[in-house]
Amino acid sequence: MDRVHRLKSVLWTIIGIAAAVGMTRYIFGLGATTNLTDRVPWGLWIGFDVMGGVALAAGGFVVTAIYYIFRREELHPIVKPAVLTAFLGYLAVAFGLLFDLGLPWNIWHMIIFWNPHSPLFEVGWCVMLYLAVLLLEFSPVPLESFSAWAKIRSFLIKWKLVLVILGISLSTLHQSSLGSLFLLTPYKLHPFWYTPILPILFFISAVYLGLMMASWESLFTTHVYRREKETSLIAHLVGAARWVILLYVIVRFGDLFVRGQLGSLAEINYYTVMFGLEITIVAIVPFILTMIPKVRDSNPGQWFIASFGVFGVVFNRTVTGGLAHLVQDGASRYIPAWTEFIVSAGVVSFMAILFLFFVEHFKVWEQRAADPSVDPEKLPEFDKASNASIGTPLLAGWTKNSLIFISAAAVGLMFMSGKKVASQGIDSTPVSQARGCEVLMVDGNLDGYGVKFPHAEHITRIGSEPEKCTVCHHMNLPGDSQTECSNCHSEMYQSVDAFRHDWHASSDGANISCFKCHDKGKPKDVDSAVECSECHQDLIPAGATIKVDQYNAPGYVDALHIACIRCHETYIDTVANRKIDECSSCHKGAITPENKKFAEIVMTKVKAGKFQITPEIKKDRE
Amino acid sequence: MKHQPDGKTVAILTDVTKCIGCRDCVVACKQTYNLDKDVPRRWSNDDGLSSRNWTSIIERENNTFVRKQCRHCLEPACVAACPVGALQISDEGPVIYDSKKCMGCRYCMLVCPYGIPRYDWDLAVPFVRKCIMCFPRLQEGKQPACTEACPVEATIFGTRDELLAEAHRRIKAEPDKYINKVWGEDEIGGSRVLYISNVDLSFLTYGKNYDNKSVPSLARPAMNAVLPTFATMAGTMAGVGWIINRRMKNMQTDELEENQDNSSSAVSSDEGDSNNG
Amino acid sequence: MENWIEFGRGPLFRLCFALMILGLIRTFAFSLFGLIGAYHRAGEKVVPWGDLIKKTFSWLIPIGRIWRARPLYSIISIIWHIGLIIVPLFLAAHVTLWKNSVGFAWFSLPQIWADNLTIVAIISALLLFIGRVSSKEARALSRKQDFWWPPLLALPFFTGYLCSNISLSANGYQVIMLIHLYSANLVMVMIPFTKVAHCVLLPLSQFVSSVGWKFPRGTGEKVMKTLGKDNMKEEIA
Repeated sequence: MDRVHRLKSVLWTIIGIAAAVGMTRYIFGLGATTNLTDRVPWGLWIGFDVMGGVALAAGGFVVTAIYYIFRREELHPIVKPAVLTAFLGYLAVAFGLLFDLGLPWNIWHMIIFWNPHSPLFEVGWCVMLYLAVLLLEFSPVPLESFSAWAKIRSFLIKWKLVLVILGISLSTLHQSSLGSLFLLTPYKLHPFWYTPILPILFFISAVYLGLMMASWESLFTTHVYRREKETSLIAHLVGAARWVILLYVIVRFGDLFVRGQLGSLAEINYYTVMFGLEITIVAIVPFILTMIPKVRDSNPGQWFIASFGVFGVVFNRTVTGGLAHLVQDGASRYIPAWTEFIVSAGVVSFMAILFLFFVEHFKVWEQRAADPSVDPEKLPEFDKASNASIGTPLLAGWTKNSLIFISAAAVGLMFMSGKKVASQGIDSTPVSQARGCEVLMVDGNLDGYGVKFPHAEHITRIGSEPEKCTVCHHMNLPGDSQTECSNCHSEMYQSVDAFRHDWHASSDGANISCFKCHDKGKPKDVDSAVECSECHQDLIPAGATIKVDQYNAPGYVDALHIACIRCHETYIDTVANRKIDECSSCHKGAITPENKKFAEIVMTKVKAGKFQITPEIKKDRE
Repeated sequence: MKHQPDGKTVAILTDVTKCIGCRDCVVACKQTYNLDKDVPRRWSNDDGLSSRNWTSIIERENNTFVRKQCRHCLEPACVAACPVGALQISDEGPVIYDSKKCMGCRYCMLVCPYGIPRYDWDLAVPFVRKCIMCFPRLQEGKQPACTEACPVEATIFGTRDELLAEAHRRIKAEPDKYINKVWGEDEIGGSRVLYISNVDLSFLTYGKNYDNKSVPSLARPAMNAVLPTFATMAGTMAGVGWIINRRMKNMQTDELEENQDNSSSAVSSDEGDSNNG
Repeated sequence: MENWIEFGRGPLFRLCFALMILGLIRTFAFSLFGLIGAYHRAGEKVVPWGDLIKKTFSWLIPIGRIWRARPLYSIISIIWHIGLIIVPLFLAAHVTLWKNSVGFAWFSLPQIWADNLTIVAIISALLLFIGRVSSKEARALSRKQDFWWPPLLALPFFTGYLCSNISLSANGYQVIMLIHLYSANLVMVMIPFTKVAHCVLLPLSQFVSSVGWKFPRGTGEKVMKTLGKDNMKEEIA
């Protein structure tokens, strides 16, 4: 029975980390915890949690259909677990949505605000209704333990067939409607996947997955709880599944043929590789393995077949949901962040824990699965910290599991990088200094969209006396006379620590002890610190027009805009015929051919690390 | 539909050849809606639009400037997609957003053929953001802030019929200057924001392979099939279930009679069923 | 060295702080469950609620009880607890750290008070430690953690005092700060898993005693066994 405990430990670890990440997501938003972008608004949480979750729950309607409608009695042992899995699968969908939705507290809005034209509206309603149907379908199992509910239970059993038919019809709708969702993305989804019959393809693969998932679940639980293996039953299920997948492949390739896409499969690129991978995992491997009777009837063989089948369809959903979306040139492809993976895994783990709870406490199988730690004869255990008794059957196993959970949650918080959260999605963009002589090319991030700043012209206009320089050069580093902007404003968009506190305090740097600058007996913050000028007399030139009064230097873009616009607005009346307060007075013709060439040459040189003044640039400057 | 017929609906015409790239429209938009300063973020697209920039100027070769904004399609994909109807076509025509209804599913962002809606990725309470063609200003009888701000009348406001006529007039008057096409007249179902240009504007969509069918019309057959499918499936299942059940009962009675001859007991099917609970 | 300091007050702090909060919640929940279980097993089900609440509050503010037995010990102990709770929570420098990292701040102590409280806390820790070591009865009643807790708690106080009041070289400051950070983090981790968990369990303690006295015979021996004190009987005898 060790396997149960080992499994639970792993599940609680994942849930713990996911809980920490989930909390961060609620406090700091989706940008801090996902790699989603304006181009890729749907990611793993939709592709896997929602689309995969719904698909994985297909076992419920497929197995109930075969058992209750087609009356194949041999499926009896797996009916109740299949319904339970379906119920938990849909619960996982709702649960996963709570992380993915931007405004999860509005999830119920679909009930009162209707838009029947939306495929998502239909999916949402079907999922809600089916979740209710599944609850009613499954509830006789837990209700068995409560005699007070016996009447309701027998009522539910009496009407079971109606519930089953309702469930099958609802499942048919939303399993296919998940495909309809992508009918609205004709320009985004690659033509290998985008087809008007997407709903039909989704439905067929859902039936296939239903059979595979029922098999996988049986394999998994018989392994974990060391129950008797249901090998012949699974052989039946996967045997049926192979004909479904054959139908799927025929329809899929027939569709590609009709739409004239078959030829483009011959090329080798990202999409053909994805397509090939998908077909191999979902169809070819399981189909071939199932055709070999020896493999089909053996336990390890069934593990392979079912795992490939399940993973294949979930992969198909994830690919359709995001990986096969076309991207514009130059844009990077979406790769889920680790935080997204862990939350998805956490949702699945949580559902697995619930599954284990149900099979251990109620008669999901003929024989209730036993948790070895539930032993009423055992003496009470005591928690080390509180000396509280926790060995009662109710709490058995919770000492360890809760400790695992809180440790994992703490580790999760440890790995939530404060920097990623604080950066608000702004990448660090180091500034490169302005280039040129009489005219400076101001292009901090070297993207070619710069401003040509006529430095010499400004000097003639303002005056060349040293005190006039301070109009712009408001701060000079020690030993320097006209320090460049990019020296302190060294980040394009974020403010930076221009003072470099840690360098001043480090033994490798200035090696100054705390109380040289900070007052003793006060918290060591900006308020208790001395002014820079107490040590560096020449740092801020007398008569500087921009007063430095803060510890952080604003980003390059802000700093230059502030510096330029202030003067330009002040002197707008003194310059005839020019609207110097408009954006276009500086940002003009940013991408003229000459300009672009200039920027390109410089950029390649800078990137190669050898910046030399070449004849071309000289010419360009003249 | 309560909103204006397509011809009378409001529209914006942008003449790319006239635009001087001064960005006054961008500034006017930001001032009207009090939008924050924006910088490139990890999640930004490089077209300049963001949750804090609802219109932007894209610079193309040869000093050509193209203003990007929501196209306010005649049959918008986002409106068809939104499961709670947070995005809707207003009476006047603009496609507007109701943040009180939104639940943040971002399906609108996925389906927009122009990639317009943007998201507040950095906020804990995020909304979908896009141009609303100054719907509040239209209600006051004013024109949108951007068209009002344009110093060279490169982008103008009017009814769709007027502006289409004006666009065709301009192209006819100077056929060498323009490409003979009004962007937004009928591709992807047509839009309320129209362009005439001397450069190819297909970069505003996801590629060149768009056709004139509107996006919602692509899902319509599937959506219309929903209720029939439900009825068919329920009916088939009930019918098949009834037939099989009857046949099995008959078989069991036969067996029962045989078994009774052999004086052994048989398990009735009902008992088995109630155990399935 | 800077990297280690950054790690100590960034990721490591988040880890330890989360462990402390979650661990205390867990401990509290388990105690509650245990108590409910004990209540169900107790012979007599009458709980004097009013008296219980009154007693709990009077033990939370034990001023009135100082003079009953061992007044010196009581006073030192109370002073120790005051310093222990007040200084880390309301030190101005700590409040500033919170403000810079999570964006909100609260009331902070004047520095002079904080310094004096720190000194008092260190001295009382020392006295308590000496008291425990020097008395034979106390030694017999003590577990290992009773000996290492006072020095461990005094360490962050001592290093914190050095950092804010003594002129150190840049290097020395960093070493002391490092000790301060890591010992404080260690304290936070240890709290829920040792006797210091009484900081959340105290409100339950009166309930324990009022229910516990009604246990069946022989319960006391089991408790002693669990506490690892089953050889006490012979010692006392």
